[in-house]
Amino acid sequence: MQHVLFANMISDTALDFGVDWPHLIAQIVSFSIVAFLLHRFAYKPILLVLAERRQRIQESLDKAAQIQAELARTEAARQEALNQANAQANKLIEEARAAAARVLEQETQKAVAAANEIIAKASEASEAELARMKLELRREVGRLVVETTAKVTGKILTVDDHQRLIEETNRELAA
Amino acid sequence: MTKRRLSLYCASLLWLGLAWAGWAAETPSGGGGHAAAGLPQSAVGLGREGGFITNSMVVTWMVAAGLIVLARAATRQLKAVPDGLQNFWEWLVESLYEFLEGIIGAELAKKTFWFFATVFIFILFTNWFGLIPGVGTIGWGTPDSEGHLHHISRPLLRGGNADMNMTLAMALIFFACWVVWALQANGPGGFFLHIFGPKGETAGMLKVLMVVVFFAVGLLEVVSILFRPVSLSFRLYGNIFAGENMLESMARLVPALGWLIPIPFYFLEVLVGLVQALVFMLLTAVFTLLICTHEEGHEKAHA
Repeated sequence: MQHVLFANMISDTALDFGVDWPHLIAQIVSFSIVAFLLHRFAYKPILLVLAERRQRIQESLDKAAQIQAELARTEAARQEALNQANAQANKLIEEARAAAARVLEQETQKAVAAANEIIAKASEASEAELARMKLELRREVGRLVVETTAKVTGKILTVDDHQRLIEETNRELAA
Repeated sequence: MTKRRLSLYCASLLWLGLAWAGWAAETPSGGGGHAAAGLPQSAVGLGREGGFITNSMVVTWMVAAGLIVLARAATRQLKAVPDGLQNFWEWLVESLYEFLEGIIGAELAKKTFWFFATVFIFILFTNWFGLIPGVGTIGWGTPDSEGHLHHISRPLLRGGNADMNMTLAMALIFFACWVVWALQANGPGGFFLHIFGPKGETAGMLKVLMVVVFFAVGLLEVVSILFRPVSLSFRLYGNIFAGENMLESMARLVPALGWLIPIPFYFLEVLVGLVQALVFMLLTAVFTLLICTHEEGHEKAHA
């Protein structure tokens, strides 16, 4: 009895609200079609695209991180190479300076030696010139003394006289 | 922290929806004591003698066709950098997916997203479509003795969710899916234990007592589960039907200002349309989560 009452109540309520099996089934089918087509044309492709995009972004981030790390490594290597090059350059500069100093010293020594040699040669030449001039002077003075003596005395001087006068003059000049 | 915030958010939305449902139920409809003046309680056929195709079915099909066409147009040529319609659909689908994932978890969201997303999108757009001027106000009626038509008794279009057949159809589809998902997650034995099994660790006589108590609780739970399609369908139908009646009543309140007075209520109905779509989706999602969540004690039983 209660079952019948309950069933009647449900039936009356359904009738009041216009619920009947054909329309209910039609709406179930309509909603199912919408759900299927939206799943097919909207959710599935969009979720796939979103997942792919997420994966691509993740890959890009990973690559960016890798590139960053690589860049940091390259930077460190560059810095290291730069430091090594600096050290090498400094060493080379030091060596060059030392070599230059050595060369300078050697060249200075050579120049000093050359200068000394030149001075010595010049000195020798000067002395030789002086000696030659002295010798020439003696001869000239000797000749003048002989000529003067010959003119003053009016005497024709012999070779021996010439020789003696010249020697005497040379002795006096040397003194 | 995010789960707690989401739970609070869901609870607030549920409260808002239920509060609105209660308020709407207490508020006298535009028809009030004049049932003949308000919208008809059920959808009406469009033929001369009624006919099978009802005005709400037409709206349902229009919304469905619009959604499918838009979805197809948006995803016909998917681009890596989205724009226009694709952008909108991506935003909608991604937001819904993340929202549901936060509530029911990644695994369940992956399996059930198609249903909850369709429920939300379809209810939302059907509700908003019902607010377009002309829906419920263009149709046939009986003129008075002077030949003036004051009331449309057979509107050409009617809000899709102002038809119990539609809301009950969605609720029944959910019920069927719920049973399938529950059986997939728990197995037949686990499903039975989930409802009737005693919770907590007890021993001895207390355990026997708990078995009896939880069996009784399970019976109540079964009644509650069986009434879910009813509550889900009536809540949605009641809110949308009441909203349409309210808009019509406001339009007829002061005939000279019939174009002005309903405007604030249109904004309210826009909000109600969104809230009801959310409430339906969240309730169904939470029901699914509750049955598919394994408890500590049941884990062993399932194993």
